[in-house]
Amino acid sequence: MHSVLLWIAVVFYACGILLTVPSVIRRRPTLAPATLAALGLGLLLHAAALGVEAAAIHRLPVTDVRSALSFFSFLATLAFFFVYLRYRITALGLFMLPLVFVLSLISAFRPERPFANPAFRGGWLLTHIASIFLGYTAFFLTFVAAIMYLFQERELKSKRPRAFYYRLPSLEVCDALYSRSLVIGLPFLSLGILTGFVWASRMWKGPWELDPKILASLVTWLVYLVLFSTRLSGAWRGRRSAYLAIFGFIAMMVTFLGVSLLSGQHGYIPQLGSLP
Amino acid sequence: MNLLLVGVNHRTAPVEVRERLNFPESRLASAVADLVRREGILEGLLVSTCNRVEVVSSAAEGIDAEPLLRQFLADYHRCDLSPYESYFYWYRQQEAVRHLFRVAASLDSMLVGEPQILGQMKRAYAVAREAGALNGLLNEVATQAFAVARKVRRETAIGTAAVSVPYAAVELAKKIFGTLAGKTIFVIGAGKMSELAAKHLLSSGASAIFVSNRTYDRAVELAQAFHGTAIRFEQLLDYVSKADIVISSTGAPHFVIQKPQVEKMLAARKNRPMFFVDIAVPRDIDPTVNELDNAFVYDIDDLEQVVDANQKQRQREAVYAEEIVQQEVQKMMRRLASREVVPTIVALEERLNRIRESEVERHRGRLSNLTPEQRQALDALTRGIVNKILHGPITELKSGAGRPEHGTLVQLIRRIFGVGD
Repeated sequence: MHSVLLWIAVVFYACGILLTVPSVIRRRPTLAPATLAALGLGLLLHAAALGVEAAAIHRLPVTDVRSALSFFSFLATLAFFFVYLRYRITALGLFMLPLVFVLSLISAFRPERPFANPAFRGGWLLTHIASIFLGYTAFFLTFVAAIMYLFQERELKSKRPRAFYYRLPSLEVCDALYSRSLVIGLPFLSLGILTGFVWASRMWKGPWELDPKILASLVTWLVYLVLFSTRLSGAWRGRRSAYLAIFGFIAMMVTFLGVSLLSGQHGYIPQLGSLP
Repeated sequence: MNLLLVGVNHRTAPVEVRERLNFPESRLASAVADLVRREGILEGLLVSTCNRVEVVSSAAEGIDAEPLLRQFLADYHRCDLSPYESYFYWYRQQEAVRHLFRVAASLDSMLVGEPQILGQMKRAYAVAREAGALNGLLNEVATQAFAVARKVRRETAIGTAAVSVPYAAVELAKKIFGTLAGKTIFVIGAGKMSELAAKHLLSSGASAIFVSNRTYDRAVELAQAFHGTAIRFEQLLDYVSKADIVISSTGAPHFVIQKPQVEKMLAARKNRPMFFVDIAVPRDIDPTVNELDNAFVYDIDDLEQVVDANQKQRQREAVYAEEIVQQEVQKMMRRLASREVVPTIVALEERLNRIRESEVERHRGRLSNLTPEQRQALDALTRGIVNKILHGPITELKSGAGRPEHGTLVQLIRRIFGVGD
């Protein structure tokens, strides 16, 4: 049932993204209502899909790569609405939504694994997963802001206004989005890692600290800590900061997805490793 | 509908002709009152600016307003119009509506996208309205023209990109800083150009200003005019880091601001960006400053390049604007046409049905022995005849809307069927 809902949501997302294109090309100050309606409907259906799944397994529906991708792309689309309504950046959809679309498409394609693991329960775990994902969403926004900043900055530096100059927001708006999402993301990621440590120390035996995913997430956390503090102090601002944000996002995606397939204890593949 | 527009503009007539035909503001009200006093003219509008003079009239059906407008112009300007005839353009009905919409949307202006024309037209409208010259069709067309102008400005970027150097500087500043509110300007070299740029920036929201000049008195003068602070030229570098936007136009033969100095300024500002506008020749600011992260340097050539690119943008936006105008003209014409024919159609139906009813009544005596079904059949028969007769004229009325001879058609049908005016 929920995969049907997800598929329809994906279709609406695709429509929404396509509808964004003419508004961006024609330099409209806002998106057409039809675009927001399509994306909004997609979001509602996506929420319904997640809701159905949650009801079926009585937990937060983040239990394997597929459901994790679905949950992340849902949060990212939700974040898109918040940011668009706050800043009215017409081109925002073009930067945020394609990745969201691809992830939700992958999620819709992957086969559903019948959920059998009793381990995904408990308050610590719920907090851990929710915090991590909120942190990821915030950092996705940081990444998007960094990309927009870099495009706009390049055109301003080149003194030759071209396509992006007219369609991207000011550097100030990009920077505001950038720093605010950093300020939101780092606490959530930190909380997520902490609660994860607490939960793992209770549930797992052995040197779980050396699990690849945990190591990778610490590296990611460090990168974002550097970003956060250098931006706050103003030591790094502008281009240099933006480049590091892109690197941080790659680290984040590696942590999120790449390592899941390798991780022993932490992966979404319960048969590897010794989960109780 | 019987709309007629005659006019000259910067494209069809040189300034000598335009100024001869101009209506000064003080006499505009009496002129438009005179226009509508003329027999046959129901409404009038006069638009007179430095780039155009236009007379619009809505006349009674069947009247040819052209000689009336000619006479009006000749009377008012107390001259023979024949030397000016070749400069006039004439627009009728739909074309007149289209022209009014285009002018209001600034598509007919010398600088497409300029905002003044709408205000000028609105003033002309207010004068005509007060003089009682706008109370029907033309009033509706004019108000719709303003709505179309607003739509064009809202849905295209026709008026937004800066097409002059000082405005380009403001636009760039906004692209960097988002809003100019709370931003500080530093003017180095108190000349005409930098004064103009500063004025634009201040009126766009910048809040504080420092002025520095080799001659301190001149700096004080300019600072006072802008409610800012004067800084001695020797202390310049101590204060520049307080500014977000630096406008420089000194006559110095060497660089006033160099790269290492800007590095220090940025560090002091915690890397908050700085925008340097260098309008001096020879340049005041070392162009390699632009290589620094968070510093942007634009010289006079760069600003011209931005203006150029913006002009091309405006032209592209003008294409979209023309599309919008075209759609709106068609919408308006359809609305006017269907509205015009409705009273005629209603009157026609009433007239023929009255004939039908009175004939049936007249022959009631001979038809008194009819059964109810037969009476119904008779009713249906007579109704059918009336409807079939009406079908032709009604179709013609509805489909002919917007065509130039339509007004005559409506008159003709009314006359033929004996429907009063």
